[in-house]
Amino acid sequence: MKLATQISLGLFIAISIDLVDSYVNYSLTKKVNTNTDFLTTSEAIIRTSSNLNRSIIDMQNGLRGFLLSGNQRFLVRYESGLKTIPELLKQEKGLIISSALQTARLDSIKAIHNVWLTFANQIIDAKKKAIADPRLNNNYRKLFEEQTNLNTGKNYNEEITALFASFDQYEYDVRAKRRKALTDSIAATDRFSLFFSLLLIVAGSGLSIYLVRKITQRIDSMVKLAEDISAGEFPTVTDDKKDELTSLSLSLNLMSQKLSRNITELERKNDELDQFAYVVSHDLKAPIRGISNAVQWIKEDLPEEMSPSMKKYLGIIPERLKRMADLIDGLLAYARIGRGKYPREIVNVADLIREIADLVVPEGYQLTMKNLPVLSTEKILLEQVFGNLLSNAVKYTPQQGAQIEVSCSEHRNFYEFAVSDNGIGIEQEYHKKIFEMFQTLREKHDEESTGIGLAIVKKIIEGNEGTVRVVSSAGKGTRFLFTWPKN
Amino acid sequence: MKKILLVEDDELDVISVQRSLRKIEVEHELVTAYNGVEALDKLRGNQRNPPMNPLPDVILLDINMPKMNGLQFLSILRDDPLLKHLKVIIMTTSGEEHDRAVTGRLGVSGYLIKPLNFTNNDKRPDSMDGFVQFHLRNILANLE
Repeated sequence: MKLATQISLGLFIAISIDLVDSYVNYSLTKKVNTNTDFLTTSEAIIRTSSNLNRSIIDMQNGLRGFLLSGNQRFLVRYESGLKTIPELLKQEKGLIISSALQTARLDSIKAIHNVWLTFANQIIDAKKKAIADPRLNNNYRKLFEEQTNLNTGKNYNEEITALFASFDQYEYDVRAKRRKALTDSIAATDRFSLFFSLLLIVAGSGLSIYLVRKITQRIDSMVKLAEDISAGEFPTVTDDKKDELTSLSLSLNLMSQKLSRNITELERKNDELDQFAYVVSHDLKAPIRGISNAVQWIKEDLPEEMSPSMKKYLGIIPERLKRMADLIDGLLAYARIGRGKYPREIVNVADLIREIADLVVPEGYQLTMKNLPVLSTEKILLEQVFGNLLSNAVKYTPQQGAQIEVSCSEHRNFYEFAVSDNGIGIEQEYHKKIFEMFQTLREKHDEESTGIGLAIVKKIIEGNEGTVRVVSSAGKGTRFLFTWPKN
Repeated sequence: MKKILLVEDDELDVISVQRSLRKIEVEHELVTAYNGVEALDKLRGNQRNPPMNPLPDVILLDINMPKMNGLQFLSILRDDPLLKHLKVIIMTTSGEEHDRAVTGRLGVSGYLIKPLNFTNNDKRPDSMDGFVQFHLRNILANLE
């Protein structure tokens, strides 16, 4: 699966959890709202039923007061009840419309009240007539006593009180249930919110960790590959994930394989060159040795048979053979520079110079050394540089009063060495040329000088990221300066 | 009187040995063969010649030779009950590990690498004649 797909999938899962959370919260809140609405309605029902009850009681009291005192003032309450009660009944009916049981109770209350109203209207009417015409008082008396005997008022009262009680009780019961439901639903909302928040955190961080680890593992293996490559090994990474990083892995693998092939090829070529060098040094020098020996033998065995000019010409041969052998050695030395790995060692430069001087600086040359350091480096290379520069100095400095000096100045990352002599010097125009192969400023037959020494010096120093230069003019000695890395 | 068998294909080296022997003035008899086959013929004898008698005190053996090289010759020599005890000294220009290893396994008394250097002074041991003289003197002195 592609990484982008995996990341999208992770985000999708997180967002889905969030959406589910929102939905559940929404529905739970709706439930809470429903319950709250219900409670509000229920309170209104109870309030209305209290008003209704009170109005009915007021009517009864009004009726009773009027009947006992005959005072019409008491009828005000009765009459206001006549107006308000139908209104309240209608209101209450609207509020309890969803409960059939309560509607039935309310209908009973209404029915009983209507029966009572009929009775009350009759007796009020009779009482009013009796007040207007005392003769009719008997009619009223009769009706009043009849009703009193029948206990109409009391029965009616008890019935309606009982109905109101059960009506209210029902409402209270339902409310208690609803209130519990409300508390429960609020608690449920809290619980769900907490649960989903936690789920979101766990799922989100889990997915993040999974993806990050997956990507870093892959990147780590590629980093390791790159490190191996720089350490000279050429492994490959296995990667069958088929995502964006796979193409990077494949490119790295290709690079590794290509490098490996190229380096193998390079090693093969180096081996070939070594073989070539062996052939050159062995097979090319063997015939030279033969010629040299033959000439030697002629001179030893036949001294009397040779004319002076024969001797003279024969004398040229060993010199030229020696030069040819030196050229072959020089070429081989030049070709070998930079191909081998040389061991690093701690080198005391002053000791090194003394060792070299024993071999190349003859008696009579005054050699001085100044500020020479001790450093860790590839000794063989430094030895070759100094060897060539010192023998060069000797070669171009007449023995009479000859002075050669090796000195050093220290810089931040490198040393700068100087090899100076008071010899014949080099003219400005040759300063560049001397570092090229086979450039020797002497006459060819003067002394063995292959012209390879300074080319080797330059190649070694530049291979070590250093520079070499010469300060000299004809007759004023020569000073070679070169830099050498510190580490 | 020491008897030396020189197995060497290079005429130059043969002359060098002859001259060196003359110079160090040790009484000797030098037999030369130009390759391994010829050396075996001389040691064992063939239709024209009888086997060598007495056998040489030392064999100076080159490695790179036509027909039969030094290593093959040495191997056959060491398998021959009559010749296996003969003292052999390698004289070659080859310093190759393989040659050293094979000759070491078959048993030789010395392994000398001929110098390729050039000096005008023949007395020095790193010149061709100087080298041969120096070693021949040692070899002959140690033959008792």
